[in-house]
Amino acid sequence: MTRRPCFVSASLLTLLAFGSLLLAAPSTQKSQTGASAKKTAAHKESAAPTVSTTTISVDGVNDIDPAKAFGAKSATVVVEIFSDFQCPACRALFLNTTQKVMDNYVNTGKIYLVHRDFPLPMHAYSRVAASYARAAAHIGKCEPVEMALFQNQDKWEASGDVKGTVASVLSASEMKKVEAIVESKELEPLIEKDKAIGMTFPVSQTPTTVFHANGQTYPYAGSLNYDVLKDFLDQLIKK
Amino acid sequence: MMESAPFNYRRLIIWFGRLVLGAIFIYAGIAKLTMPNTHLWPWFVLKFSVSTNLSMFQQQVESYKMLSPEMAGQLAHTLPFIEIFVGLMLFIGWRLKIWATLVTLIMLGFLGVVTRAYLLHMDINCGCFGTPEKLTGWTIVRDASISALALLMTYFVFTEARQPHPWAAAPEKTA
Repeated sequence: MTRRPCFVSASLLTLLAFGSLLLAAPSTQKSQTGASAKKTAAHKESAAPTVSTTTISVDGVNDIDPAKAFGAKSATVVVEIFSDFQCPACRALFLNTTQKVMDNYVNTGKIYLVHRDFPLPMHAYSRVAASYARAAAHIGKCEPVEMALFQNQDKWEASGDVKGTVASVLSASEMKKVEAIVESKELEPLIEKDKAIGMTFPVSQTPTTVFHANGQTYPYAGSLNYDVLKDFLDQLIKK
Repeated sequence: MMESAPFNYRRLIIWFGRLVLGAIFIYAGIAKLTMPNTHLWPWFVLKFSVSTNLSMFQQQVESYKMLSPEMAGQLAHTLPFIEIFVGLMLFIGWRLKIWATLVTLIMLGFLGVVTRAYLLHMDINCGCFGTPEKLTGWTIVRDASISALALLMTYFVFTEARQPHPWAAAPEKTA
């Protein structure tokens, strides 16, 4: 007779314990998911290097992203190039003229060159390209990525594979960092700022090159021939 | 007493054509040299502006894909000056038959080129004036209208030339 209540209470206790285990299981699972999410986020945070969105001013030219600027800040001429990675004239300017200007004027300290992004809405991938190039610039890979984007413009314009083009000139770890920066969208305000600055001149087409020298500002629309530009730059520097 | 030349409809169209076409040609030439980059002073800035504008015009000529880059360069660097010169000659009116014919030929050439590009669905700027302007059906209508005026003017210039000059002495009447 005494065995029965014992058995019943034991069964009840077992059921209770089992039930409480069942109820507790989802919350444990949830907390486990939360923990793994935190872990993934922490991993991502570690993959995305801390980027600085601080801008500088040089010779009266404001809001310059130092990662996209080259040359000596003491140069007498500051040149801003507003360009779109998908625009053919920008490609021509970059490949035929900007490279020579870099070699002969920027690297010799005569000119401070600022690359401004001005992605046009008519180009489907130019904004993405600007984001990747900006991110690459912030890990010190501005020139190879810009070169790859302009040199392979026809290919990625047709395929839309901006990421693949950028990846072709970066190591796997660099690409991981670039992707993390792009995904974080931390540098997007800098692109927006460049566009807003462009609108003040106003930039009506790309490329537009703005020369600042001796308190004067000369915006020039269109691709520039190096030989003609050379004479102009020499005169600006001489003044 | 000296009388002014009789003003018939042919002369009216010749005058209208000279003024309108002369103005359009002079404007088109100056616009190609000075737009969109309009910094004109000091001299080295003007030189750079004109060079840059002509380079842009060269790209527009190249975009029609009818000429080699060298030929497009030569055309782009001479056409604006030709337009200004021909426009001025129309205004002056000296040897009008020559300049009216030349303007008509140039306009028919422009019309042919833009029509070809439009029919080929080329997404380009027309390069008509200095600032970038998309080539559309309106460009063809505009060029066709100007060409029609040039043709009519040239036709009347030739027919008027066959008439005795209005100020020439009238033939003496025989009794």
